[in-house]
Amino acid sequence: MVNGLKERFDKIEFIPYLVLGLALLILLLFIAYPLSKVLLNSFLNAGDVFSIQNLTLTNFSQFFSSSLYKSALMNTLLVGFLCVFFSCLLGIPMAYFLARTEMPFKTIFLTLGTLPLILPPFVGAYSWVLLFGRQGVVNFFLKEFFGFVLPDIYGAPGVVIAMTMSLYPFVFLLTYGALLSSDPYLEESATIMGASRWDLIRTVTLPLVTPSIAAGALIVFMRAVGNFGVPALLGGNFYVLPTLIHFQIVGFFNLHTAGAIAIVNISMVGLAILISQYVMAKRSYVTITGTTQGAQVSASKTLKWSGILFCSCVIFFSLLPHITVIVTSFTEGWSGTRYPTKFSFENYQRIFQIAKTPILNSLFLAITATLVATVIGTLLSYIAVRKQFHGKWILDLTVMLPFILPGIVVGVAILSGFSSGLIVLTGTWMIMVIGFFIRRMPYIFRSATASLSQIDLSVEEASAIAGASWGATFFRITLPLMAPGILAGAVICFSTLMGELSTTIILYSAGWKTITVAIIEYLFSATIGPAYALGTILIVLVLSAITLANRLLGRKMSQMFKMV
Amino acid sequence: MNQKRPITLSIQNLSKVFHGKTERVMAVDDISFHVSEGDLFTLLGPSGCGKTTTLRCLAGFEKPSNGNIRFLGRDFTTIPPFRRNIGMVFQSYALFPHMSIFDNVAYGLRMRKIPRREIEQRVNRIIQLVELEETQKRKPSELSGGQQQRIALARALVYEPKLLLLDEPLSNLDAKLRIYMREEIRRIQQKAKVTTIYVTHDQEEALAISDQIAVMSDGKIDQIGSPDEIYEKPQTIHVADFIGQANFLTCSLVKKNEESVILRFPSNETVLLDQNKKRTSACDHSKGLLFIRPERLEVTPVLGKANSLKGQVKRVLYLGSQVRYYIQIFQQSAPQEVLVDKNRRIKDVKEGDEVALIFNEEDTGLFPLE
Repeated sequence: MVNGLKERFDKIEFIPYLVLGLALLILLLFIAYPLSKVLLNSFLNAGDVFSIQNLTLTNFSQFFSSSLYKSALMNTLLVGFLCVFFSCLLGIPMAYFLARTEMPFKTIFLTLGTLPLILPPFVGAYSWVLLFGRQGVVNFFLKEFFGFVLPDIYGAPGVVIAMTMSLYPFVFLLTYGALLSSDPYLEESATIMGASRWDLIRTVTLPLVTPSIAAGALIVFMRAVGNFGVPALLGGNFYVLPTLIHFQIVGFFNLHTAGAIAIVNISMVGLAILISQYVMAKRSYVTITGTTQGAQVSASKTLKWSGILFCSCVIFFSLLPHITVIVTSFTEGWSGTRYPTKFSFENYQRIFQIAKTPILNSLFLAITATLVATVIGTLLSYIAVRKQFHGKWILDLTVMLPFILPGIVVGVAILSGFSSGLIVLTGTWMIMVIGFFIRRMPYIFRSATASLSQIDLSVEEASAIAGASWGATFFRITLPLMAPGILAGAVICFSTLMGELSTTIILYSAGWKTITVAIIEYLFSATIGPAYALGTILIVLVLSAITLANRLLGRKMSQMFKMV
Repeated sequence: MNQKRPITLSIQNLSKVFHGKTERVMAVDDISFHVSEGDLFTLLGPSGCGKTTTLRCLAGFEKPSNGNIRFLGRDFTTIPPFRRNIGMVFQSYALFPHMSIFDNVAYGLRMRKIPRREIEQRVNRIIQLVELEETQKRKPSELSGGQQQRIALARALVYEPKLLLLDEPLSNLDAKLRIYMREEIRRIQQKAKVTTIYVTHDQEEALAISDQIAVMSDGKIDQIGSPDEIYEKPQTIHVADFIGQANFLTCSLVKKNEESVILRFPSNETVLLDQNKKRTSACDHSKGLLFIRPERLEVTPVLGKANSLKGQVKRVLYLGSQVRYYIQIFQQSAPQEVLVDKNRRIKDVKEGDEVALIFNEEDTGLFPLE
């Protein structure tokens, strides 16, 4: 009897370790292996096999010799820093107005301010050309009434404007959260000591939320230097590293040069992380809030009205591209004319004839990858939170690594890992699912981890002591309690995968074109109508998924992005 | 009160070491104790004394570094928590927030694959025992703290475990409810006749509900005994100090023979103690502390009685149910303050008065120093 018990005991305690083993295998095969292959490739000449004397720096030397490479490097940094700068310029005041003034319609502003995060940035990017381009409607009026036109939108201005308008919510939401949760008594005591409103902002309020601003700025920078779609559409001759990588892969299928560029792109992100860590460490304060009382809200009329004006403008301009997409999709075209012409459903009829497959492909790939990421991300988060073992940080790091990597780099890594060697998956849907899965698993991992850490360990212990095995406890207690977090993560995962372009553009094959590839192809060939019809369908799909999840979870949209 | 019942739980030389990043922490340091069937046995001590770690070793959530745990003749150490057939009430109650009260209570029975009809009967019976019949369909969050507490108890008892573990079950309740609930726990425990290990830092609570108490500090057990023994005859200074209020009077032993011992205080006053009634055997030390509870001291304005000490009333504190006198003794040599608790004001004694302190030697304890 005692022996039997012991055997069962061993069997049950074995399961978590089996899960752990499986998880590590997946991380090794799909993240560590492809990334090390990229690293290795970048130090080898094309065609060479790996050996010590074959190692070379040729692939990197282009950054010193070729003016294209040099300018792409500088352009990427320029775009990154300008996007951070403008995102702060828009995001911080907006956060302040919403958190600290008596503005009306706060919920609406908050929701609309979150929207750009869900909508794929490249879908709206081309609208800037329609609106502010040489043939655009704004220039049309400017020429007619004032006799001058705007400078060319193609190149740096277009790229920075389009990216900033879709990335500023990161700074906005993180700053907003920090402003809401900071200790009101600190500001009150500064006021008592004679600080004016402006003194207060300068000396207390802003310094206290600096770590959050830095965190938001970091995400903006990472997204900006890794974005492919926007510079591909609006860059023209203005190359950045992601478009250069694309050029190397599509033009020459040179994984070695592409690998070298990818490594440079990654180091940029790494450097940004180091800088922001430094800022956060220097400026991190633990505030103990012993009160549920909210921060002081200003009743000033001037502030209130400037808030409404400012937030409305920012939101209007950030959503304008997508509104343009939707409106234009119902017209024959909107280029070189004052107003869109000929309202009709013709574009939709056309795409349902020629572009049904990409829509179905996207749905299939996104749903499959989301399911895989959900199962594995949840198990990994369980292990990371509940199991004690040495080297846990390696697990955290590996899971979160794809989160900070530019999407196109993930694409290059997966392509390098599975286009030759033991496992060849090029041209299949599987290689795309793998890329999608590792790229978006961090969302699930984070969100599941957040909800798991909220669950008191003694709840699980209570289940064990009542006679439930590990499995029974996991499925009856832990999983149901984690479910809202997992669902939120899964919805974000699905919606962002529907609009995924950077990884897709490297991994897709003729038979597995996605909705985003179809859109960008139409846009490259200036077939605006069908592109915008597809864009509208994409926007509607993504928004319905998020709205449905909000309904199910009873959360606000801005809360769903807290962990991202 | 304490008839000898068979021992069901025995802990032998139990130790638990936690390995921190740099240091090893000896959370439980070689403790042994035995619990009789049906007893409520309390582990009492300040936070960090190792009482909760001991309990978690019993539950199986911590693996002992050393020693063994035997329950009903079985070695517990290798059995996982879910096969130990133990009931446990957690400090936070740990009710499953996503389940109704009925499902919470039924959980252990479902895990034991009990037929549905029987589950219903047994859940109803236990919910009746804790007097919360009307709450069955509600969620835990809709219950008050005291109700959650009782449901947690019902959930732990419904599958009739042979051993019940209670981890600071009352610490989240307010003072009045705590007193009511500790009587409830005692009543239900007696009715279920279940051997119980109770962990608390509240000495009053421990005295009120336990059959046996083990007082712990720094991972070790200082003393095991009935509440009376722990309170009246503490064996160490720590126990005397931790349980209730205590006065420690510095003294030296000047003469010792078979029958008696003379204590000399810093003021040169002396007291004769009958050696036979003394509890502390180690009287051959020259210095010591005389222990006496504040409520066992008598205060009188009449000076010069035998076995009395002279002092001056410094402060009188009125606390409602009792009056506390702060009396300074040994004023010329090494002033020391003594507490005296009375349930009403003493006639003719005011602040500033010279008084005599009188005590019965049965009420005292003597702890050697060094």
